[in-house]
Amino acid sequence: MKNNRVAVIGAGMTRFVRRANESSGELASQAVQMALQDAGLTIDDIDCVCLGTAPDAFDGIHMNGENLIAGSGGRHKPYMRHYVGGGTGVMSPIHGWMHVASGKFRTCLVVCEEKMSPCNPHPAGAFLTIFDHTTEQPLELTLIHIFSIEMCRFMHTYGYTEEEIAQISVLCKKNAMDHPAAQIAQQITVKDVMSSPVLSWPVKRLDISPTSDAAVAIVLANETVARNHCKAPVFIEGVGYRLDTAYWCTRDLAFPNYVAMAARDAYEMAGITQPADQIDIWEPYDPFDYKALHHMNALLLDKGGRRTKELLHSGAFERSGSHPLCPSGGALGVGNPIAATGLMKIAELYFQLSGQAGKRQVNKNALRGVAQAWGDLMQVGTVVVMSSEGGMPRTTPWSQKKAEDLPGTALKSFDEVPHFKYEPDLRYAWDNGQALTTYLDGLKKGHIRGSKCPKCNRMMIPVRQFCEICNLQAVNDVYDLPDSGTVQTFTLSNVNWDSSPLPDGKVNIFAVIAIDGATEEMGLIHKLSEVKPKDVKIGMRVKAVWKPEAERTGNILDIQYFKPVSDKGQSDIRPRQIKPVELDAISAQPFKGRIPMKYIYTAGQGGGRFYKDLFEGKLSGTYCKACDAVHMPPTSFCEVSMTRLDPEKDARVVNPKSGVVAAFTVVHEDRSGHQLNEPKVVVQVEFPEAFGSVFGKLEVKDGDVIEVGMPVELVKLSKGAGAEQITFRSRA
Amino acid sequence: MGVVVLGVGYCGSFPTSSGLSYRELIARAASMAYQDAGINPEQIDGAVTVEEDFISGYSIADEYTPDQIGMVRKPIYTVPGDFLQGIGSAVMQIKTGRFKTVVVASFSKASNVLTKDEVVGFAYDPIFNRLGVTPHYLAGIEMQHFLSGSSFTAVDVAEFSAKSRNSALCNPLAPYASRVNVSDVLGARSVASPVTELMMARPADAAVVVVLGTDDEVMDTARKPVYVTGTGWASGNSIIERRDHGISAGTALAAKMAYAEANIENPEAEIDVAYVCDIYAHRALMHMEALGLSCDMLPFVNPDGGAQAGGDLFEATSGARFFDAVRQLRGEAGVHQIEGAERALVHGWRGVPTDTCAVVILEGEGR
Repeated sequence: MKNNRVAVIGAGMTRFVRRANESSGELASQAVQMALQDAGLTIDDIDCVCLGTAPDAFDGIHMNGENLIAGSGGRHKPYMRHYVGGGTGVMSPIHGWMHVASGKFRTCLVVCEEKMSPCNPHPAGAFLTIFDHTTEQPLELTLIHIFSIEMCRFMHTYGYTEEEIAQISVLCKKNAMDHPAAQIAQQITVKDVMSSPVLSWPVKRLDISPTSDAAVAIVLANETVARNHCKAPVFIEGVGYRLDTAYWCTRDLAFPNYVAMAARDAYEMAGITQPADQIDIWEPYDPFDYKALHHMNALLLDKGGRRTKELLHSGAFERSGSHPLCPSGGALGVGNPIAATGLMKIAELYFQLSGQAGKRQVNKNALRGVAQAWGDLMQVGTVVVMSSEGGMPRTTPWSQKKAEDLPGTALKSFDEVPHFKYEPDLRYAWDNGQALTTYLDGLKKGHIRGSKCPKCNRMMIPVRQFCEICNLQAVNDVYDLPDSGTVQTFTLSNVNWDSSPLPDGKVNIFAVIAIDGATEEMGLIHKLSEVKPKDVKIGMRVKAVWKPEAERTGNILDIQYFKPVSDKGQSDIRPRQIKPVELDAISAQPFKGRIPMKYIYTAGQGGGRFYKDLFEGKLSGTYCKACDAVHMPPTSFCEVSMTRLDPEKDARVVNPKSGVVAAFTVVHEDRSGHQLNEPKVVVQVEFPEAFGSVFGKLEVKDGDVIEVGMPVELVKLSKGAGAEQITFRSRA
Repeated sequence: MGVVVLGVGYCGSFPTSSGLSYRELIARAASMAYQDAGINPEQIDGAVTVEEDFISGYSIADEYTPDQIGMVRKPIYTVPGDFLQGIGSAVMQIKTGRFKTVVVASFSKASNVLTKDEVVGFAYDPIFNRLGVTPHYLAGIEMQHFLSGSSFTAVDVAEFSAKSRNSALCNPLAPYASRVNVSDVLGARSVASPVTELMMARPADAAVVVVLGTDDEVMDTARKPVYVTGTGWASGNSIIERRDHGISAGTALAAKMAYAEANIENPEAEIDVAYVCDIYAHRALMHMEALGLSCDMLPFVNPDGGAQAGGDLFEATSGARFFDAVRQLRGEAGVHQIEGAERALVHGWRGVPTDTCAVVILEGEGR
């Protein structure tokens, strides 16, 4: 089974919605059931499972991959999650490809799930803590800020207008009108995009994809299995993925070199030498409209950007054009449940190249397509090239699917279903180490500090103890640098880090500033002030405005902001070498931070039934025909057979007074690890009619003897109560 | 094509490591691994890092992985899983034939996480399982199931903990080694009965980096190659209401996969030294059962003191064991060297509330 070719032989997906009723696991299970059905396989035919889900901060579950095992069909199977932020979706088939191409497995179920709606008040808030906790988070940045910053640089370098870029949003939303899973398909014009509210110039609301809940699954198989089970397998012919430095202010923001490198890897493997001529369908990642063009430059290996612009202006990106771009409708039209979006693009290539895309089928005999995703701190590129052996357009279940055929229940409000609020207390105290202690000490003293690599001679900001591009070369030479620099790119923002609007008339100007004395383009991000928004320009000279010395604490906010200065040339101040701070018990202070997230979870279909019953003092399980058992607690899928269950139709009444303690523990600490004044008893309770159990707390009365086998009953819950209030009491 | 451990590096473990940022901690382990392998980062084809967002303290932790291992702009991704799953992923990568050398890295800066139990509790299902008490409640439930379904007693569990902590007294990488006895363990503060404080591994800081390559690389670079002859990983049911808590199904399935690959039919007879995950002492015994190892094997289990003595490194916990296993097979384990050790088993578990486990079989040059 060595070095097998690997093919996609089935796909499934839920609808993409802003707020799904289904739990994370339920969404995954729905996509899995469809993918297995499409491939003509059962879960028993699957050798292993790969899961892609992006930040845990969205679903609001630490180790979210573990929570998703049952829903993804991974119970009692080799199951592994992979992760590259927003690039995860296209990394998923790559990791699945490794599982099969290595010869270790014949088949692999690849599942991507993202439920962004639990993250409140807005999922954008999760992006505050993607930035460096010490040097950037105090500035209260979010993803839209750096997207806007990147778009500004892209426009500046390649000469795009906002109107030209808006054409991509128009195209994608139009294409999505034929996609059954689409969340915001609509016919709009460039004028609509231009007149939509400016969130963070140059980004406007209609330049951005929505936040979404959804799951997508595909089935991968080696060539032997693929040919036995699939009429038109679509093969993965090339894969590539590259991750750039975390020091994002030091990078070329106009051209994503890391995407181009990933594309080169994939093309080399697929034998592609002229991508523009040899690829028929393009599914670049398009969370913002400019990103599709930004990525096309890289996918076309066209750093000059001329070809992309020509294709845009000639209409070649239309579905009927020579280079159809995002025929699915992309993230901008179908929706953007991060990891699931990337896998939706892979599914689109599978549909197109096997002739099953129905109304979306491109107007050419497409044999080869490329899908790409991107993410992290504008840092990762993941690329997959897929090809078919000539899948003519044909009628299949997928070619005829309509929105109502897909699972996934959209809610307008959480109030429609049982839901629970939760606020984790996630606090940290980061050790700064030698390098950052020296950097922060510089800020306290009114200096921006850098360190110089003796090998590549780069003067780097912030201070490092090693050079990340010179084989971890030790870096010991630290310098005070001028506190002036040049604006490389900027955004004029009307929103806070959590996406809430700034007060009327207030604009935050964030800029990437190349600091004088540092290596070219080596910069930092900070605010600009003492300048009108309309007067901010790339190339503008700026200087730091410091807090009074007595108020400085060794924080990036010791610089209040940068202000324009009139001098055109370099600062007269030259870098001055200093000694790094000596670390001792006093100087080695940690930098405190927290992840300030709040969540609202829907109970889902199974949980909804459970709590609805409990609010009435009842209990039910869900009957599974395949297992011939009543699953407890209620569920909308069977994790053993991966068949769909209906917690309402398949409900079986269970006597809530028939519980028996299967196991118990006396706990002495609260959820934070603090000693409880009174210990509590947690019990696992089984019911004679059901397979499974319920966990909850035991109400202990004087004289109760707690033991395994103790008869207990479930206490009726008041409406709105969640797992914390599930309580049993003795029946004795 | 065989896969070989070309080099290993380890920085830790420490109860705290306030003089080092996480980047500096990892860079030290990486430099050590590259030196051990006789290789420069620029010669390496790709990397797998192993970590979880909320333990690392970021919403997207994988952003901060490439720099400190010298892998900027290389093919690199993160496995939010057990360190040994990262090894399994890297081995598959190499076996595709597209990569010759891959580095695997993981770390713990547990001392920087001020609310560790909150983070662990945040892993529980939000609909059914966040009960508002210590997340270790499931360990208490598990231990009760395990003891009632096996011949082991709480004393056996305590003995395992005491043995681990005592045996590591001469291991400089084990900060929680201590001279304790069974009574100390059983009489320690109860956290979630029957689990006491001394049955639980305490959090620690460390970084571990492993360089893997194809066996045809060995002649050119590796100082003392160790062969990866089997890898396996599997997950039990994530729905804890329908999981059998008396056994580790994840371990049994992972072991079956790794044993088949390494052609092991009788694990106890064919394995010289075993490292089993012991974040909770009862889990070590549960894992041994699932691995097909009897109590006769105990003298050859976790000779470094395991996590009970070395600390809970979260995703990197089994990485510390992997590091020690490589040293054993090279004959470089010092005072806790198992004489003649030629084949090692390393096992990892992801901790509560999971039953996700992984097994790797390593063999020395002599086999």
